[in-house]
Amino acid sequence: METEKLFTIAEALLKPWAKEYKRPDENRLDVYLVREDLLEAVAELAQARWGYLSAISGVDLVPPAQDGTGENQEGRLEVLYHFCNSAAVLSLRIEIPYSDAHVPSVCGIIPSATIYERELMELFGITVVDTPVPDHLVLPDDWPDGVFPLRKSFTGFDSPQAQES
Amino acid sequence: MQEKVEKFIVPIGPQHPALKEPGHFEFSVDGEEVTGATIRLGFVHRGIEKMTESRTWIQNLYMLERVCGICSHVHGIAYTLGVEKLAGVTVPPRAQAIRTIVLELERIQSHMLWLGVAAHEGGFDTLFMYSWRDRETVMDLFELISGNRVQHSVNLVGGVKYDITPEQKQKVLDGLNYLEGRIQYYEKIITTDDTFLGRTRNVGKMTKEEATLLGAVGPTARASGVERDVRVESPYASYPGHPVNIVLDEGGDLTSRFIVRIREMFESIRVIREILTNLPESELTVRVPRRIPAGEVISRVEAPRGELFYYIKSAGGENPYRIKIRTPSLCNWGTISSVAVGHKLADMPMLLVGIDPCFSCNDRLVTVRKETSSQTMYWEDLRKYGVEYYQ
Repeated sequence: METEKLFTIAEALLKPWAKEYKRPDENRLDVYLVREDLLEAVAELAQARWGYLSAISGVDLVPPAQDGTGENQEGRLEVLYHFCNSAAVLSLRIEIPYSDAHVPSVCGIIPSATIYERELMELFGITVVDTPVPDHLVLPDDWPDGVFPLRKSFTGFDSPQAQES
Repeated sequence: MQEKVEKFIVPIGPQHPALKEPGHFEFSVDGEEVTGATIRLGFVHRGIEKMTESRTWIQNLYMLERVCGICSHVHGIAYTLGVEKLAGVTVPPRAQAIRTIVLELERIQSHMLWLGVAAHEGGFDTLFMYSWRDRETVMDLFELISGNRVQHSVNLVGGVKYDITPEQKQKVLDGLNYLEGRIQYYEKIITTDDTFLGRTRNVGKMTKEEATLLGAVGPTARASGVERDVRVESPYASYPGHPVNIVLDEGGDLTSRFIVRIREMFESIRVIREILTNLPESELTVRVPRRIPAGEVISRVEAPRGELFYYIKSAGGENPYRIKIRTPSLCNWGTISSVAVGHKLADMPMLLVGIDPCFSCNDRLVTVRKETSSQTMYWEDLRKYGVEYYQ
């Protein structure tokens, strides 16, 4: 099958960096990476012309509710780089902690990623290092610093997250 | 000695730059020639992705259909297909067929609307009025099927609300016959009218490589010969049984973008006729649980403007955990800033409409500016404001 063949190629390309592969669906392949390897992996895909960057999704993974016994866990953010090639969707997934929320910019390899990176910055508060245009994209110019609407802690301007800033 | 050249910047927008929607552009110019372009969006950003997290799976369908007024159905489709997959249900074939018919009608409607706007920007108001008059045919068909012209709201999570009766079927076919004749006439005009060709030929040329690199999607990409069409690559709804032929053009200029959209309408008409004559008999809905099992799904569909991408994550509750919407216009904006360079300022409106930009596509909080201060309003406040205002 065409899709299977494409995934075999992708798996081979990403082998040096992949920490884990998952097949959540017949049309999908998820590859777990660490942040430091992202650029090399994206460059490899781009060079091999494996599909195109269709979107970058950010997800706020809040820590599980504290039951008093467990460690005080820090929340994490997940960034997914979705590449589409015909029916196949490959997602490169990296997880980063709140306290160290930065990812490298992929714009040097894929210039069209700029809009998705700007979204990540203003909506999730993820610093995208070396992104060409760090300005606001969709939020107003007078939007307060340090308020990131797509974080789960943001529930309006009376939320603790907004009060703090 | 080299003279220091200062950049002269022409700001366009945010009030209605070529379109009746807000976007702000800054074109740096050297005389009449554009040397650079930057884009600022977000003037109608509504925070829909955030809103989805506090609404139930059912409520979200109605909100997501309102991401865009021109392609409301396709947003509903992307969402319902994703949720149905998470829930593990299969929609009955007749419902799939009706969804696909409305999808293609919507494509015709959207392309006709675009043709009118594009003609208007080109100073060809007769064509604008003709195409919008003829577009009414499709709008009437929507009303016939669903009772609504714009927000057809045909979808349910797990099926469709409306059936197509034999009488309605005949009316749809009659409407399509009329439209086919009209679209043939439009095709003739856009390929032969000298004045129009003067505004479109070799304007905004984008090679296949550029289009691929800039991440163009939909008709904008296909007009540069890039074979990207989700209906063909990863068929959904009734497309597996009624395949669509991809419409390509190698020209890469504005003329090609006109040609591709016009020919896509013929293809849509063909597909609708095919499905209507082979309309399967079945139920219209299937039961979907109120809580959607935990998991995540990626749902891709071909909206009139190109690939629409939904990433849906469920934590097993009554509300989604996260919904990411990547609309086609967002991809195509990137092409503008690079294609604009080297063109005359006067070509900019045509170039902008060339990608058929949809602002509600991109901007999904509202800041109300009063004379002295600006106030940020949220959904509840806006609702209250609206209710009080109209009392």
